Amino acid sequence: MRLARPRLRMRPRTRDRELRLLTVVALAMGAGWVSLSSTRSGGLSIGDPVPVVCWLLAMLGVHVAFVISGRDLDQVLLPVVGILGGISLLFMERLPQGLVVQRFGDRTLMLGDLQLLWLLLGLGLLGITAISVRSVRWLREYRYTWAALGIGLLAAVFLLGDEVNGARLSVHIGPFSGQPSELLKVILVVFLAAYLADNRPMLARSSMRVGIIRLPPLAYLLPMLAMWGVALALVIIQKDLGAALLLFSVFLALLYIATRRGSYVVVGLVLFVVGAAVLYGVLGHVRARVDIWLDPWADPLGAGYQVIRALYAFGRGGILGTGLGAGLPTVDGVAAIPLIHTDFVFAAVGEELGLLGALAVGTCYLILAERGLRIAARAPDDFQALLAAGLTLVVVLQAALIMAANLRLVPLTGVTLPLISYGGSSILTNALVVGLLLALSDRTAVRGVPAPTARIARSAVA
Amino acid sequence: MNSAPGIGSGLLRVGLVVCIAYALIFAGAGWLQVVEAGPLSADPRNPLQLVAARAPRGRILDVRGVVVADNARAVDGVRHRRYAHPAMAPITGYVSTIFGTAGLERTYDRQLTGVARLGAGGDLLRKFRSRASDPADLHLSVDVRLQELAARLLGDQRGAVVAIEPSSGRILALVSTPGYDPQQLADPATAAAYLATLGDDSGAPLLDRATQGRYVPGSVFKLVTGTAGLESGAIRSDTTFADQPVESRRGFRLEGFRIQDAPRSVQLDQPLDLTEALEVSSNVWFAHAGLATGAGALLEVASRFGIGSAIAFDLPTASSQLNGGDGPLHGFADRVELANASYGQAEVLTTPLQMALVTTAIANGGVLVRPTLVDRIVSRDGDESRTSPTRIGRVMSATHAATLRDAMVQAVQGRYAADYAGGARVPGVRTAGKSGTAQLAPGQAPHSWFVGFAPADAPRIAVVVIVENAGSGSSRAVPLGGRLMNAWLKRFAPDSAP
Amino acid sequence: MDAFTLVLWALRIGFLICLYLFLALVVRTLWRDLRSAVSTAAPSVGRLIVVASPLGRPEAGTSIPIDAVTSLGGDINNTIVVEDPDVASQHGLLTFRGRAWHLEDRGLGAPMRVNGEPVADATTVHFGDEIGLGRVRLRLERPLERVDP
Repeated sequence: MRLARPRLRMRPRTRDRELRLLTVVALAMGAGWVSLSSTRSGGLSIGDPVPVVCWLLAMLGVHVAFVISGRDLDQVLLPVVGILGGISLLFMERLPQGLVVQRFGDRTLMLGDLQLLWLLLGLGLLGITAISVRSVRWLREYRYTWAALGIGLLAAVFLLGDEVNGARLSVHIGPFSGQPSELLKVILVVFLAAYLADNRPMLARSSMRVGIIRLPPLAYLLPMLAMWGVALALVIIQKDLGAALLLFSVFLALLYIATRRGSYVVVGLVLFVVGAAVLYGVLGHVRARVDIWLDPWADPLGAGYQVIRALYAFGRGGILGTGLGAGLPTVDGVAAIPLIHTDFVFAAVGEELGLLGALAVGTCYLILAERGLRIAARAPDDFQALLAAGLTLVVVLQAALIMAANLRLVPLTGVTLPLISYGGSSILTNALVVGLLLALSDRTAVRGVPAPTARIARSAVA
Repeated sequence: MNSAPGIGSGLLRVGLVVCIAYALIFAGAGWLQVVEAGPLSADPRNPLQLVAARAPRGRILDVRGVVVADNARAVDGVRHRRYAHPAMAPITGYVSTIFGTAGLERTYDRQLTGVARLGAGGDLLRKFRSRASDPADLHLSVDVRLQELAARLLGDQRGAVVAIEPSSGRILALVSTPGYDPQQLADPATAAAYLATLGDDSGAPLLDRATQGRYVPGSVFKLVTGTAGLESGAIRSDTTFADQPVESRRGFRLEGFRIQDAPRSVQLDQPLDLTEALEVSSNVWFAHAGLATGAGALLEVASRFGIGSAIAFDLPTASSQLNGGDGPLHGFADRVELANASYGQAEVLTTPLQMALVTTAIANGGVLVRPTLVDRIVSRDGDESRTSPTRIGRVMSATHAATLRDAMVQAVQGRYAADYAGGARVPGVRTAGKSGTAQLAPGQAPHSWFVGFAPADAPRIAVVVIVENAGSGSSRAVPLGGRLMNAWLKRFAPDSAP
Repeated sequence: MDAFTLVLWALRIGFLICLYLFLALVVRTLWRDLRSAVSTAAPSVGRLIVVASPLGRPEAGTSIPIDAVTSLGGDINNTIVVEDPDVASQHGLLTFRGRAWHLEDRGLGAPMRVNGEPVADATTVHFGDEIGLGRVRLRLERPLERVDP
């Protein structure tokens, strides 16, 4: 006999694990910062520690807020965000500040300060989301609103977007610019989770045979085709290969989780291959990306320039790296890799922190994956499970996509490295995702009854 | 793990796929940052190289610390290389912003610019130095004085000299004439015009004859045949051929071809043994010996010396050969070619460096060592890597080596030495040597060869000299080799006794 | 090598060490979670959703995973403590035997109800049935964590 579950009554007063991990984060940031400023000044120095102190205090603030809220939130996610954001801060302070310059009235903010600002805003968003979101029913109920919003975002980008680096990603409204495709990913994951949770039993049942592949009724295939269409639209309209690839793979993964039917994955992959082949043939920018990947040395000073420079950066890093601030991000004052602060930040990590640093960063994303999927596994209903899994995969697969592209394992698709790359849209979106995951991790908050469809199940109890 | 089946295991499998993807990424990072790190950093297009190229390049110094190559003072931010000793050109090569690099400057480019790593532990430490690059100095085993003496002795004749310390394989001199002045190639102001004049020179001054010149060896090759005969058991030190005295006078008829000894000042009526045959350089005797040994054994023993493949060396080398390789008899066309090859004619072509290895192996009691030019590489930050002697392997038994050595001593110090290698004798030192006169096409003067070492019992220097079209070995190469050994043992060697 | 170079070297290594210390701690946490999840996940064969509980014990709306044997009553030693004036200290026993759920009344308090019908002594219950003790109503549901066969 077990006693009544303690979590029904007792709420954790302290969050020891989180605090302990945050202490190590602080230690690491301290060492990193002193190492960076000493390298830069040529003597032992702590430089201007304000950014790092700000970041650490903000982490502490969120931690205290979590304790006060009394919610039983996951204790690992916040420190992981802390270490990734900290590494981001170190690198954005270290890279040439002129890479990004923004004027606010008479104040001019540069790369490092701006990133600190975004990180702090992101952390705030994360904290608020984690504490205040106690039920995600509303997310599910407004699923078609999300779908409409997503298509609206896509349309907005199409109508208002500017083309940057061969991709139409940014929308400028007044002094602000953002990349709606970042938010689009989250919105579509919410919609997908709701859709799949509603229609799971139908999708899992098969009624149509095409050769050896068993397919669900045609009506239920439509969303898959729709997703495929959205992905194609992203590639064609926005020229955003990365988001398209990411969304489609997350969709396939969710579909598999919901139905456990390998045939869907096969059909999806076939669609992917067909789409990719057609796009390769039709669209110049897709072909260019793939050709650069296959042979960057064909045009080392033009198209292949960044990819080759990234490879050199990894080579210079070796196992232990050159050390923070001792790498070679600029040659003659020009950034060796123009997008070192966004798409190629992983190359900078590989150079200055070496293979060990790169592996550590990769492991952080794996930890995010483990936490996220565990939250999904423990979720009280299908929607929450699929939502948690989808949100996790958006972050983790995006990280994998860009790290692999930096290492020239896959073509470069122009996505950011979550929580490390510079960029407000990216930081805020990923903070929102982690915030939602934290909220979902609190099992004592499970209120309300899952929608009835969730329980139409071939459940074999014991 | 959820109210409906499958979520749990679906999550597990998706998690597994994520793990596999990350494992591949980690493997990719490992590949780039460990296996490919060196080649990537050495890529000339790597911006690191640009930065390193602006930093002062490491120097090259001779065995006593004489600076052979260093950096001229920068003019308008452009820095070029300065070479004080043009005779060292075959070794150092040059660095030119226009024409690239050659020689050791090329081989050790990564160490000289400081982008390479030194040693295993050095790698860990070097990463954490403040500078991006850590240029290293090359300390050579070559002595500039011996090098310059050899170049001076060769004069304006085409030829090459290789001097080695037999026990270690350290090169003491490596000369090729005609030479060139690397300084003028390095200096952008003169480089283009100078290269044009070098290109017009029929003597091909940019060719390093010592390592890449392939010459007919003539009689010096008898050392290889002798080794092969002894090692295969086909001949012994006391082997004689009954018909040889007659044939030496009238010619050895083999399938219609006549093999002759060079005319001698004295007639020898007794059949010669190995020592005597080597001493008086009997072509007939070695033709018999070669035939007795057979093509297969000759090739096998020759390959132990490295003949047939490029020599592993810090400079580019050409490979030596015994035959054209297209005949039915292990590449020999027939027994006539085999007999001719046995005394170093026919299609035999060797580089001076290859002959130096043969000589070194005999001097060493049968052990072949790897030839080296660089003693130490010392970086600015104090990392040092030393070259230690590398034994390639035993080529022949110590007894056989002693037999050949004694025969070579006879060639220098024996009764008839004056006609052969006697001119190489170092006064007061037991000297071993072998002369060679490589017959070329009719109308062309033969190449003059000498190989030798001294002191014979504890060799400290082995020398190979070739002077192109300079007549018989004894007239030109032998005295040159003798003077070099003498100079080294009496004046230049660290413990020389003047 | 001067002292500063050494210090810098140590700092750079130190940063990497901190990163890995962090990872090691996290992985240890994950490992512990995994083990505790394995040890606690298995027994749950069903759960009770608290439909109504005027006194807040158990809290209305919560979902309580239950084992094969679950005791209900006001006493602190019950698996699920039910606070209500009409609930006895040892009130009922919910057991899962073979293929069916059984509800036994221990006879110390007011009769329990299943879907509003009073239970005399013992009865079988099914998923979806509502069990009433006093003013507290609990609905029996399938378990959240499925035990894979």
